Amino acid sequence: MIAEKTLVQQLKQPNSQANAFEVLVDTYKERLYWHIRRIVLNHDDTDDVLQNTFIKVYKNIDGFKGDSKLYSWMYRIATNEALTFLKGKSKRLGISDRELQDRVIDNLQADVYFEGDKIQLKLQKAIAVLPEKQKLVFNMKYFEELKYEEISEILKTSVGGLKASYHLAVKKIEAFLKED
Amino acid sequence: MKEFDKNNPFMTPEGYFEEFDRKLLNKLSQGKPAIPESDGFRIPQGYLDNLNQNIRQKFDASEVKAIPITSYKKYYYAAASIAAIALVVLGLNWNSSEDIDFEDLAHTEIETYFEDNELGLSTYEIAEMLPVDELEISDILSTQLNEENMLDYLNDNLDNFEELNFEDNE
Repeated sequence: MIAEKTLVQQLKQPNSQANAFEVLVDTYKERLYWHIRRIVLNHDDTDDVLQNTFIKVYKNIDGFKGDSKLYSWMYRIATNEALTFLKGKSKRLGISDRELQDRVIDNLQADVYFEGDKIQLKLQKAIAVLPEKQKLVFNMKYFEELKYEEISEILKTSVGGLKASYHLAVKKIEAFLKED
Repeated sequence: MKEFDKNNPFMTPEGYFEEFDRKLLNKLSQGKPAIPESDGFRIPQGYLDNLNQNIRQKFDASEVKAIPITSYKKYYYAAASIAAIALVVLGLNWNSSEDIDFEDLAHTEIETYFEDNELGLSTYEIAEMLPVDELEISDILSTQLNEENMLDYLNDNLDNFEELNFEDNE
């Protein structure tokens, strides 16, 4: 696998940019897809956000100074794109963020790309009612299996704060799943 | 002493140890709902394989769309200039409406102003500004005085008529 530093250098050079971008997409597409999918829930919306994320990365690579790792910079862009997308969607529909979440969850049952059972659907309902930060931390830790240090770099939050958020999220989800 | 047979006479049901871990974990999680390990989402077949191509198409489309915006720039400037001129003209017309002067103020408004505001003028300063020549005695006193009353007052209160200095008026 190509070293991150080399990849960034190639992305900044006009003659190697196109090939390097393909490598970048191939390397990160799956991880970023799942990260976005767990925020927006629906495949078509995820596709839009994922493509926009990569386009943004491509256009702004010159501004990437290497202060953080490339993947955490991309995760941050993907997170912002996904959250902005949801806000824009609720605004377009003239409903609140919460109402949009409810609507998306209701649609999950009919979604051909969701094959979860009853408990997995309930899990999504439980995650949907979490505060934004807890939701992100839970998904990144539980499903994406990122380390606290990595999440900390992406969300720019202290590891201690993240641990507290994750702990609270798990407690709330367990309580929700226990309800009839 | 005859040694006991060390062969274990007990048996376990078939597959017991293979199933033991799962049963134990199930028992441990009883009453404590386990969070499912997967979330049930799936990706359409072949989606990730074509992603690179799809991004390239979207990227090219967004670059093509950008061209007309720059070529129409001069029209945007022209439109902006027209709008600015219209605003300036409207603004000037608005400002050229008739000036309001002192005569347009209602007397009641002036009275209210004097009542409500501390002018900081002494009685003498006010007297200096009052147009005395244009004032009649009736403007100051509400009770009408006739000549007879005035003469009576002067007789009672004045010792010397000379002080009145009527000479110039005679």
